[in-house]
Amino acid sequence: MEVLPGAVHGLVGANGAGKSTLLKIMAGVERPDDGVVLCDGAAVTLTSPRDSRRMGMSFIHQELNLVPKFSALQNMGLEAVRPTRLGLVDSAARSSRAAEVADRLHFDFSLSRPVEKLTVGQRWMVSIGRALMANARLIAMDEPTASLAQRESEALFATIAQLAKEGVAILYVTHRLVEVMSICDYVTVLRDGKVQVEFRSGSYSEGQLIAAITGEAVAAKKTGTIDRAVGEVLLDVRHISRRPRVHDVSFSLHRGEVLGLAGLVGSGRTEIARIVFGADQPEYGVMDLDGKRYAPGSTYAAVRRGVSLVPEERRSEGLLLRQDITFNINLPSWELAQGKMWPHLLNLGKARERARDVCERLRVKASSSSTPVRTLSGGNQQKIVIGKWLARASKVFVLDEPTRGVDVATRAEIFRVIRGLADSGMGVMVISSELEELGMCDRVLVVVEGRVIGELRGPDMNEATILNVIYRELAKSTSLPPIDARA
Amino acid sequence: MSGPTFFTSRDRIKGRPLVRTGLVLAGRYGTLVGLGILVVWFSIALPLYFPTVDNFVNVLDQCALSAIVAGGLTIVLIAGEFDLSIGQHASLAGVLVARLLISGLPVPAAIVLVLGLGALIGLVNGLIVTQLRVNALITTLGMGTVLVGINYYITGGLPLTLPAGASDYLPTLGLGRFLSIPYPVYYMVVVLVVLWVILNRMAIGEHLQAVGGNVEAARLSGVRVERTKTFAFVCAGLLAATTGVLITAEIGSGQIVAGDSFTLSSFAAVFLGSAVLREGDFHIVGTFVGVLLVAVGFNGLAIMGVASSAMYLFQGLLLIGAVALSTVSRRLGE
Repeated sequence: MEVLPGAVHGLVGANGAGKSTLLKIMAGVERPDDGVVLCDGAAVTLTSPRDSRRMGMSFIHQELNLVPKFSALQNMGLEAVRPTRLGLVDSAARSSRAAEVADRLHFDFSLSRPVEKLTVGQRWMVSIGRALMANARLIAMDEPTASLAQRESEALFATIAQLAKEGVAILYVTHRLVEVMSICDYVTVLRDGKVQVEFRSGSYSEGQLIAAITGEAVAAKKTGTIDRAVGEVLLDVRHISRRPRVHDVSFSLHRGEVLGLAGLVGSGRTEIARIVFGADQPEYGVMDLDGKRYAPGSTYAAVRRGVSLVPEERRSEGLLLRQDITFNINLPSWELAQGKMWPHLLNLGKARERARDVCERLRVKASSSSTPVRTLSGGNQQKIVIGKWLARASKVFVLDEPTRGVDVATRAEIFRVIRGLADSGMGVMVISSELEELGMCDRVLVVVEGRVIGELRGPDMNEATILNVIYRELAKSTSLPPIDARA
Repeated sequence: MSGPTFFTSRDRIKGRPLVRTGLVLAGRYGTLVGLGILVVWFSIALPLYFPTVDNFVNVLDQCALSAIVAGGLTIVLIAGEFDLSIGQHASLAGVLVARLLISGLPVPAAIVLVLGLGALIGLVNGLIVTQLRVNALITTLGMGTVLVGINYYITGGLPLTLPAGASDYLPTLGLGRFLSIPYPVYYMVVVLVVLWVILNRMAIGEHLQAVGGNVEAARLSGVRVERTKTFAFVCAGLLAATTGVLITAEIGSGQIVAGDSFTLSSFAAVFLGSAVLREGDFHIVGTFVGVLLVAVGFNGLAIMGVASSAMYLFQGLLLIGAVALSTVSRRLGE
């Protein structure tokens, strides 16, 4: 594939298609077995990130490798600034260069602000600024909008367009096809490590793109939801608060129901989920589960009452990456793999069997149950995080962003699993920032600034209506939406 | 992921394939190769004294006390915490059992009391770390010093000689032999087997590994993180006290600083052990190999008549080398 200066080049593909490996080769982190990278028409050997940086390539990962305690200025100067002859930081040169870049990118915050106090969108700006200070001619961005709110994404797109106009090449990696279609001049689709096809802007349809990614035709849109009969109230949440993110939240979850929580990033949905799961305690309010008072003082207590949580960050909160599939699947329920004899020795055969069952049920692609989860692709890792709760009998299943960074086919499978859980009589809560996904729910609660402000059903559960409700509410309040300040 | 703070670098090891392969081998087999080299070297240098059955049994005997206390440390490190108080804890347990015997307590009662107190000290460490959220390094460094204070309070700074009655019974526990193998070797085997079973065949063992591997993921899987960590500290305390009692049993008197050196040698052994067959993970079999390597080293150097200054050099460098090896090994496992 070729990346041209001044063009925004999309790179899409299912998990495991080879996007990350390609980026790593370009970044000089891994070496190709075969083939060459040409830069300005000349073959270059990239054996370290230094080489690639010298060629003017810059990589911005989803996690944004910024130093939280450092100011925006310090972060931007990390790569670019040469020390003076005495080995000191040349702060004058740094400041003036940074101010230049800040101006070019229209920063709306002070350069002396520590990065940990910036919003995620502003952090992206700092990362881009850092690339520009290092004279980057090609900037690769990995899933930039995954944790950005709508408004921040739009600002980022504007910046991308501006950079392209100035002659910088942008390599844009994402799962969000809408973004690819609207901002990319070219799109390269990878599948199974090969370039499948390359499209020019305007010369393809969404259906063609999805077909190229999955290798099969997947229905692009779900059509109409059937009104399902739901059972009695399972979880009743009344007036819970935990400042500053959760204010007087009440709702009920029924048996056999999939309840969606819609909202912008940082609207308090994750915090509500953590309270339900006992990871945080509410300051006010009460919950009932199955008609009995439910006040979990710990995640342990919540799990024992039959509540499960698939956390937002699968790698840092959901998995033990060095451990194998069997370990991760059995983690919440090792005691169920115990033999009957005192002192309850584990039956490892049983544990492995449980892991295999779950892998089969969720169609996890792995060579065996003793494969370390760090070697699995993102989608398969997500299935493990969901799968570890299937080994236990749960009543309430809470999933926080279950499809983030997951390819189209896996996404469909996750929906299938969620629906299956509800059909078996559980109550399922789904948090998603991909608002069109919430169409698969029975009911959607709209959360704004830590409050449940509305409930949508049936055909109203579409992106446009949800956004409309959210922004109408935001227009009412004078303050900006709370921004996710976590690293 | 929050492992022990020894591992700060998370970048992968790069470089030529040959170098990489070499590091992989060092990470997985470094400790075993080191042990092999030491054994061969001492056998050639000291053909009459080192490679004998008697000396082999002797080395195992020297291993026994280290292995017991290092086993406890292994549990704590697996849970992602530290215990720097184990050596001073062993010293205190040693003089305490002597003191209790002097005051007329029967031997079994004295031992049970000291071991119970050992577990209690571990519990206090654990509660300070998990409830007050004080860094384990600081907690156990402070606790170690407190224990030295109690030690001096009990002894007045002088070794305690065992009273006449107990001076037959207790030493038998340390010096007696069954099938010409000293008792402590059996204690070691029992302790190591029990720890192995806890770690590999019990739910609490899986929880310990989960907590040490990724605290957040463990908590969000419903693991009781605080309880699990506290359990680890209790194990370490109990086993440090066990070693302390055995020191007094072997020496025949309560020596004030007899156990202090076990902190350093245990850390060296456990880190050496993390580079045995697994990539930087702490585990019981590895710890045993690590203890063996340290014991063989000391044994050989002692037979050669090396000055104690050199012994300290050996021990210090060994600790640094062990942690370096373990870190390399762990990075390869990322």
